[in-house]
Amino acid sequence: MSVAATPVENALTSGRLPKLAPWGILVASWVAAAVVFGLLAAAGSTDFSLVAAIFWGTLLYVAAIFVVSLLIEGDRKARDRFVTALVVLAFVVALLPLISLVSTVLANGLARFDLQYFTYSMRNVVGAGGGASHAITGTLLMTIAATVISVPIGLMTSIYLVEYGRGHLARAITFLVDVMTGIPSIVAGLFAYAVFELVFGPGIRLGIGGAIALSVLMIPVVVRSSEELLRLVPNELREASYALGVPKWATIVKVVLPTSVAGLTTGVMLAIARVIGETAPLLIIAGFTQSLNTNLFDGRMQSLPVFVYQSYANPGTDAQAYIDRAWAGALTLILIVMILNLVARLVARFFAPKLGR
Amino acid sequence: MTVNFKRYGAVAAMAVAGTMLLTSCAANEGTSAAGSSDAPASDLAGDISASGASSQQAAQEAWVAEFQGANPDVTINYDPTGSGTGRENFIAGSSAFIGSDRAYKTDEIAEATFGACAPDSGIVELPLYISPIAVIFNLEGIDTLNLDAATIANIFNGTITNWNDPAIAASNEGVELPDLAISPVHRQDDSGTTENFTAYLNEAAPEAWTNEPDGVWPLEGGEAAQGTSGVVDAVKGGQGTIGYADASRAGDLGTVAVQVADGSFVEFSPEAAAAVVDASGYEEGRTEGDLAIALDRAGAEAGTYPVVLVSYLIACEQYEDANTAEVVKAYLSYIASEEGQQAAADNAGSAPISDTLRTDVEAALELIS
Repeated sequence: MSVAATPVENALTSGRLPKLAPWGILVASWVAAAVVFGLLAAAGSTDFSLVAAIFWGTLLYVAAIFVVSLLIEGDRKARDRFVTALVVLAFVVALLPLISLVSTVLANGLARFDLQYFTYSMRNVVGAGGGASHAITGTLLMTIAATVISVPIGLMTSIYLVEYGRGHLARAITFLVDVMTGIPSIVAGLFAYAVFELVFGPGIRLGIGGAIALSVLMIPVVVRSSEELLRLVPNELREASYALGVPKWATIVKVVLPTSVAGLTTGVMLAIARVIGETAPLLIIAGFTQSLNTNLFDGRMQSLPVFVYQSYANPGTDAQAYIDRAWAGALTLILIVMILNLVARLVARFFAPKLGR
Repeated sequence: MTVNFKRYGAVAAMAVAGTMLLTSCAANEGTSAAGSSDAPASDLAGDISASGASSQQAAQEAWVAEFQGANPDVTINYDPTGSGTGRENFIAGSSAFIGSDRAYKTDEIAEATFGACAPDSGIVELPLYISPIAVIFNLEGIDTLNLDAATIANIFNGTITNWNDPAIAASNEGVELPDLAISPVHRQDDSGTTENFTAYLNEAAPEAWTNEPDGVWPLEGGEAAQGTSGVVDAVKGGQGTIGYADASRAGDLGTVAVQVADGSFVEFSPEAAAAVVDASGYEEGRTEGDLAIALDRAGAEAGTYPVVLVSYLIACEQYEDANTAEVVKAYLSYIASEEGQQAAADNAGSAPISDTLRTDVEAALELIS
């Protein structure tokens, strides 16, 4: 009878929380915070804020898990739970901007995220309706062209730096690539514009110019990431290849590159994600149009970031229609980057050599 | 691994190709749009690039849409680069016509050779986009305030700092003004709206507003916001805020009725804005096709709203290329027509020009060849 009532005396004999208890408490804290903020929103004092609910819910969790653990498991375990909860809190705080961004873009962007948005351009569209097929096409074409330009250049530069480069030249290249990383995007746009203006005269607007501006921004990112990855390839693999009498170029193509292909793809995808959202250079050199243009070498080309910017900056009287289109454009851009990252993950998983088998 | 590459490579290629195919056709393009009634099919064709004032962007969208609907083979790209860039583009020759929030100054015309035009060609400047600028504020329960130019200038230059200031109360009997600090909002970027607003303050209240009219806000302090949208959002988002923006964007914010020369207060309206342009004459010393308006902001009569943005469409008298001339002429004629002005009023909230002005514009358009 009196056994259950015996006070806790040491940690080993004390009670234990079930394994799922922390999760349960976390979810319960979030729900509690959401209910509080929901009631506040219902009372009309503030708008419901998902981010605030998650933050205060997590804070509540830190307190709750400590108290619960102290009551059941004793103070030693409780301190452990407390510090773990702090780590969780830090993690959640780090994620909050992302949660806030994604929820805002989703909430605002879904209004126009429909079939018409992907099949219509803005040609002859006034006010509501219309779509961004011209901007999506432009963004994809220019980004692909930029990738086609920068990946060979960037990859070969890093191969040179890792496999061949010695002395002053290599150091100068590394230094210049570092400098290029810091180029503001508008300068890249001006560079591309200046180049094309020299050839074609003033006021030139070309999709390929946008691609070149983007590749100026992309090359240093590709060089830096692939350089690191090529250095990670174990020297033993190269030596083994040489020992079998394979020439150096064949070693690079058949051994070094395949070994690091997973990382290289990720690096390229990160570089694409870096440039796909650029507005300023495309505003200058790719221009602005309402019509679909699939030819990189002739005429203006719309892109998603420019489309979003212009829809927001110069709306007509029916401003909401323009703002909705801008949000849907932002959502599309995020989705494109996300899909690219997923593809990169798949590529990394399937192409990586099967080591240890 | 080779197998993997082929298999997944094919899948990836198909995915990319599919996306491209899906997005590479715009359902609304390639057919002549509805709205082009039973008018005879047009034989106009060509790509025209234009650039200039971003204030005209919404109106240009409507004009371009209607014009391209009636002339399916024409493509007009209006790039809202800003007036200054537009004027440079016109001189450099990269824009066939431009929109600009001010006319070229006479000495600019004398010095410049316009790259878009045939050698020794003059230019036509047509005031085809007239838009009232509203002074907007956010005060709970107050929809409109009567203010004279000097009071507005003093609010924006920071001399009047509270809404219950006697200067504001004097012209607003019966309005309960709150004890609340005024926070003025202005444009951060270079804009024609700022230029016309400061020009109004400078001309109508020269003692209170000593700065020269300028596209860049001349004073330190106050809240700066990016673009018209930014100003409207900033005014909406604050309490006791006041700003100025294109009247079409005023929405449900409070607006100021400004005092004109005879002491009455005038609310903005498209008619009152068009009236002030009619009441002012053209600038002197200009060529026949150059219809630069000498806006009389200080001497505005009853029923005219003096805070207006007059934005021009500028084209050449003679073009190198006959086809370009034909398309530009047809396009500008459409803009000047009643339908064109109404389309802009519907989509951009601008003020349709009067018939008197239209007659002059049509005469000027005849010069284009």
